[in-house]
Parts: sequence; structure tokens; C-alpha cells
Amino acid sequence: MIHRKYISLAKITMQHAIAYRFTYFISLIGNLIFILTMFFLWRAIFDGREELSGFTWEQMKAYIFITFLSNSLISWYSETRIAKKIISGEVAMDLLKPISFQKARAAETIGSSIMEGCISAVMIFIILLLTSGIILPGSWMSAAMFIISLLASLLIKFCIVYISSLICFWSTNGIGIAWMRAAITNFFSGALVPLAFFPGWLEKLSLLLPFQGIVYIPASIYLGRLEGMQALQNVGLQLLWVVVLWLAAKLMWNWAVRQVTINGG
Amino acid sequence: MAVGSRWKPRPIRALYLYYRLMSQQLKALMSYQADFLISIAGMTLTQVLGLVFLSVVYQRIPDIHGWLFWEVAFVYAMVFFIEGITSFFFNGMWVIGGIINRGEMDRILVRPVSPILQIFTSHFGIGGIGMILVGAVILYQSIQHIHIEWSLSHIFMLILLLISAVVIRVSIIFASCCQSFWTGSANSSFSHTIHTLSEFVKFPISIYSLGIQALITVIVPFAFISFFPAAYLFGKEGWGTIGAWGPLVAVYTAVMALWIFCSGLKKYESTGN
Amino acid sequence: MKLIEAEGLAKQFKIPLKEPGLTGAVKHLFKPKFQKKIAVTGIDLAIDKGESVAYVGPNGAGKSTTIKMLTGILVPTNGKVMVDGLIPHKNREENAKKIGVVFGQRTQLWWDLPIIESFSLLKDIYEIPASVYKHNLERFTQLLGLDEFLYSTARQISLGQRMRADLAAALLHNPKIVYLDEPTIGLDIAVKERIRKFIKEMNETEGTTILLTTHDLEDIEQICRRLVIIDKGRIIFDGDLHAVKDVFAKERTLHFQVDAPVPNLPSILSGLPNTILDHEDELQFSVRFDRFAISAGEIASHIMRQVQVKDFRIDEPKIDHVIRKVYDGELDLTASGHKGA
Repeated sequence: MIHRKYISLAKITMQHAIAYRFTYFISLIGNLIFILTMFFLWRAIFDGREELSGFTWEQMKAYIFITFLSNSLISWYSETRIAKKIISGEVAMDLLKPISFQKARAAETIGSSIMEGCISAVMIFIILLLTSGIILPGSWMSAAMFIISLLASLLIKFCIVYISSLICFWSTNGIGIAWMRAAITNFFSGALVPLAFFPGWLEKLSLLLPFQGIVYIPASIYLGRLEGMQALQNVGLQLLWVVVLWLAAKLMWNWAVRQVTINGG
Repeated sequence: MAVGSRWKPRPIRALYLYYRLMSQQLKALMSYQADFLISIAGMTLTQVLGLVFLSVVYQRIPDIHGWLFWEVAFVYAMVFFIEGITSFFFNGMWVIGGIINRGEMDRILVRPVSPILQIFTSHFGIGGIGMILVGAVILYQSIQHIHIEWSLSHIFMLILLLISAVVIRVSIIFASCCQSFWTGSANSSFSHTIHTLSEFVKFPISIYSLGIQALITVIVPFAFISFFPAAYLFGKEGWGTIGAWGPLVAVYTAVMALWIFCSGLKKYESTGN
Repeated sequence: MKLIEAEGLAKQFKIPLKEPGLTGAVKHLFKPKFQKKIAVTGIDLAIDKGESVAYVGPNGAGKSTTIKMLTGILVPTNGKVMVDGLIPHKNREENAKKIGVVFGQRTQLWWDLPIIESFSLLKDIYEIPASVYKHNLERFTQLLGLDEFLYSTARQISLGQRMRADLAAALLHNPKIVYLDEPTIGLDIAVKERIRKFIKEMNETEGTTILLTTHDLEDIEQICRRLVIIDKGRIIFDGDLHAVKDVFAKERTLHFQVDAPVPNLPSILSGLPNTILDHEDELQFSVRFDRFAISAGEIASHIMRQVQVKDFRIDEPKIDHVIRKVYDGELDLTASGHKGA
């Protein structure tokens, strides 16, 4: 399934990401500001309190850093690249290439994510050295499951980004769509607040949606809130969502290409 | 020949031209109906979900550093109410980079109208309207829930602080966008980073470390957009008195922004793009 | 007093010398290095009201820099410039009311507005009296054939239509001077013709002063009476256009195509004075000649008498050619006494 051409696309994009390091670096600072805000806000919330909704401050700290890591995996730049391709009409050129648009974009996004994820990891490491440090997963098993879960999170996020970018076949407002996607993802993935804090009905709703696979599941595995069979089940759920979203994206692409005259084409 | 027959005083002429240029931009935007709605919905959704997040947290705890839910909601809503006004009326400043990069600055300079006016009117941030509306509703609700002893001077100060907040925000973003005069690049990520700093002031700044407090009070004084006006209105000890300095900060940032823009223009005049 | 007067106008740029990459950028931040580049130097130019002047030179000669200084976009490093009694960069907005500028590559129309709306915005920006606006709009619509796309947006119309609209936009406020920077670039012949006619008409009936930069010979020939050549930042010629052509554009070229190779071509041509043979390949050759010494007809019939010719064509003299030769130092136009005062 993973053809050589897709691997080389991923490589090229990684190099590209390095070339755009300034832009990326700046967007990372934006991410950092967001996460610092969250850090201090939660510190104030936990001020004088031992535990909230089953989270201690130590656990919450770890949760925030995992959110940062997962949010940096697909940067704003990678996110808007697909939409730009469609809005500018460049997609017409891609249709002529003997390559699947969806796989090509996935390769690109994963290529830049590896780059960006490494930089984020380094930044987290530095921050950890400077601060008091955070708790680590309880066992090697949890750590391994966390890594797998994080990769699944990357794939889910790609699919969601990709599907929302396809909307640009009908609208030229890529930024507006990206905002909406970011707002919904941040809220329902648990990036703003762990889903356990939600009132019962909202929590149930969030667990039915794919977004929890982006932050909440990997973070819960890391913190040992999901262990053993439960962790395995949740990773399975993530993978199920990847398959479902991947197929949905494919259907949507076929429909879009048939229905829509390409912008500027 | 064309000059002089319908002369208007400068400020009135500027306002009239501003109105004409903006209403035409709006008309043009209206032709992309779906986009129009998406922008509004996107911006509104971001802010509303942020508030839902706040209320979720407040269900578990009574206050954060002595600030109640509606007080924080006021601070939070101030940020995007002001952002809405800024992007609705002054969004053109975001595209200075593009204007310089594509060489459109030349065209702006050969017209008999102030370049700043032309830049402000070169783009219309329609999404701002959603933020203004939602912001206004939340601000109104907050004021209903918070005990404030209203007096004439309070109302006067509220209006003055609101105007100052807009001036401060526009000036800071405008100044940061002027970097393109030196870099020549259309990339606005620097200004976006500055813009992102306003994330900090969505919450009472007493929660932050001293470094961050200094950053958003002195270096990039976004705290005067939301936190200080709120502290002033709610009569919070210590912070409130700083809030009264808002108008002075506004004058200061405006002068600085103007100075940076003029230096940038001078640089452009001596080197082109 | 002249309408445009420049004396010893000079512009120097400081170009930052940056090493590539991030390290280079950081180094430059702390220890900036610059290279001086002289864009124009010692430009003397005086243009009267109603003149139509072609301002030509190779890319990078300093044409745009000069125009930017005349319009007030750039501040000169040295020298004096005065346009209708004003120093452009010091009174930019006042100066802007009197001039119209067309940049061939860019539009001054609003992309998403119907053309007519762009015009009405310009009416407000330039404070054009209603009667003048109405009159000009009607006249330009007719001359440039704007009616077919007046209600379309700039985004929707073709390049040729956009250029016509841009030209009208630049002239709506009856500017005294119009600066045209390659107004016909990339347009088809019919549109070019229309634009040239329009500019000429405005020059002749309204007395609008025209300063035109272009690489198109036809533009110059049809619109302008005066030619100014700039090279490496200096004006190297300033004088009457027709004189230049008569005196210097004397070389023409005949191209021949043959069915079979002609081995004895040089000897055939040796019978023709003042001609130079250029071989292209075995089946194609061309003959350059001085049109005052020998006619194309003589050459063609001489060759056709001895060679089986399949096809032939003649190249008109290109002002480009003449100008190229001037740059190369092969022609000294100043010797002919045309250099302006």
C-alpha cells in the first residue's frame, strides 16, 4: 500500500518543512503561548485543591504537555496547505499525476509531522529540564501503547483536516473552515479541558465522536487512566476511526471531483 | 482641473472615503455568500466554545484567584469583542506585507489619499461581526451578573477604556505588520505571533508568572485591552488603579505605531521594494 | 517653465549582503553588510506640456527608478526634481492629483468590484466633479469600448479588457501627466492598436503629457515624438524619434528558404555590394543590407535568378536593434546633435 513515490513525497515535504523553519518556528511559538496560557490557568485552578474530576495537578501538567505535543504534530502550515492547493486550482495539476491525491497529501502531512513532532519533543524536553519535570508512564507497556496511540492520533487528525479541506471545493474561505475545524477539534478532543470535566451528557457525546482519539485517548493512556485491556480497546477504537474516516474522505473526494469545477481551472 | 471644486475638510473627507471604500469591499464580499457565513461562524464558534470551556471549569470550582465566572467571562469577551471591532474595521493592516510584496505599495503612493487609510480599507474582516455580536452579548450578560455601582463617571470611563482598547489593539498589530517594510516578505507569521499573545489576556493576568505579566503589561500591553479595564470597573484592588492608565497607553501605542509606519514608509521611499 | 524638470537626478540603493540560511540572517542582524548599487546617475530631463516621450532602455537600466522618482514613490539620493511646480516626494498627495499612472503588470482596479464601481471610487478619491466624471466616462467608454464589461469585476475580465479599464481609470481625473509603464505588455494586436490610438488621442486633443516606457517598437512609433534612451543609469540619447529611425535604422534583413543546399552562395552574393551573409543552416540563410545602399527588390531578384528559392521574408528595422547597437557602443547618437538641452 505504501508505494515508493509516497515515501519520497514525505521526504520532500520534510525538507520543505526545514526550509520553512522560520514560519514553522513562529507557529510553534504560537502553540507555546497557547499551552503556557493553559498551564498557568490550570495551575491557578488547582491552586489550593488536591484533586478535580480525578486529576491531580501533577497529572494535569502531564496532560497539558501531551496536548501540546499532539497539537504540534500537524501545524497550521501543513493544515492550510491542502486547502490552498484546492483553492488555488493547483489541484488540477495533481489530478493529472498518476498518484492518489489522498495518499499523497497523507504522505506530505506525515512527512512534515515527523519534522515538527521532533522539534516539539525537543522543546518539551527543554521545558521539562527547566521546570520541575512531569510524571512518566507507569510501565513500559503504557509507554509503548502511548506511542502507538499518538501515531493513531496523527492519522485521525490528518483525516479530519483532509475532509475539512475538501470543503474548499465549494468555498474559497479556507481560513474560516480551518478556524471552525480547529475550534471543534480543540473542544471535543479534550485539548482545552479533559473530557472527564464535562457534564455527563457532554462527556457521553464527546466519547461518541472521533475527536477524543486526538488528545484524550493518548493522554489517558500516558497517565495510566486507561490500562491493559481498556487501553487496547481504545487504541482499537482509534484505528477503527482511522479506517472509517479514511473511507469517508475517499467517498467525499470522489463526489467532490465529479461535482465541482475546480477553482480557476 | 479635478481639484478644488468639492473641497472637504481633511478629517471629514477621510471618514467619507473610509466609508465609501469599506462599503464597496463589503459589497464585493457579499457576492461570496457561503464564505461570508463561514467566516462569521468560524470566528464565533471559536469564541463560544472557549466560553463553554470556562463554564465547564467553573462548574467544579467557585473562583480562580478570587475572580468569579462572570468576571472572567467579561475579561474573555472583551478580548474578542475588541478583536471583532479591529478585524471588522481595520483588517486591511494584515495585508501590508502582501501589498509591499506584490508591489502594490506603488499604486497606493500615487493616489492623493493617506496611505494608512488605503491600507485599512484594503481588506474587510467580515468574521469580526460574529465576534462583535457574541462579545456584546457576553459583556452585557457579565455586567448584569456582576455587582457594579454605576455612576456617570463609570460609564464615561467604560467608553473611554473601550476606545483605548481598540486603539491599543490596532496600534500593536499595525506596528507588528509594518515589519514587512524591512523584510519585504508577505509572511505575516510574526504579526500572528504578536496577535497570539492576546491569548494571555483572556484570563486574569494574576495567574501568570512575573515575566509574562511584564510582557503583556509593558512590552506588548495587551493587558490594557481586557484585564485592566475589567479590574478597574470591578474595583479590584491594585490592578484597578493601573486600569485608569488605559487612555495614556493608547496614546503611547498609537504614536509608536505611527512612528514605525512612517519609518517603514521612509525606508520604502529610499529603497523601493 | 517646463512641466517636468529633473536635474542631476541620482538614486543609489544599499543592497544588503546576506549569506544564505538562518546563520546568514542572524549575522546580518548584528553586522550588516551592504553593497552600493547605482540605479540612475545624473539624469537631466526636461519635458514640456503636451509632449509624448518614450523612455526606453534595457531591463535594469533605471527606467522604473526614474519614473518612481518623478511620481514621488522614491526619494532621490541626489539632484533636483520638479513636476508642475512641486517636488513630488515632498508633496506626494498634491502631486498625485495631477498625475495618472498605469503599471502594465498590475491593476489599480479593485479585484472584486464591477469596473464601474472602481471608477466611482476613483471619482471620490480624486474628487472629480460630477460633470467631468460623466463626460470622461462616456467618452472613454466609447473610445475604449468599455461598455461590454463595465459591469463585470476586474477578476472576471480578460487581460486586454482590464488594461483598457486601467487606462480609463488612470485618466478619469484629467491628469496633466500620464506615466505609462509597459501598457501593452502581453496584449493582442487589436487591443494594442486601440490602446495606442486612445493614448495618442488624449495627447493630441487634451494636451496630456505622456511619458511611456515600453519594449514595443510599435508603441513608441505610434505614440511618441521624442525618444529618450537610458542605459546603465544614464541618459545616452534624447531627441526626435523619426530622425533616429531615418538615420540609424538603416539595416534590414532578408531571410531565404531553399529546397537544396547552395554551396556557392558567397560567390553569388559577392555581386551585391553592402550586404552581409548569415548562414542559418543548409536550407536557410539571411542577408543583411543597408536599405539606403541597395533595395530589397534588387537583392531578391539577384538571388532568385541563380537559386531556386522556396520562400523569403523581410524583417523591418526594429528600434530595439538600433537601441541595442547604441548600448553596445556601435552607434553614437549624440554625434548627430540630437542630445537634448
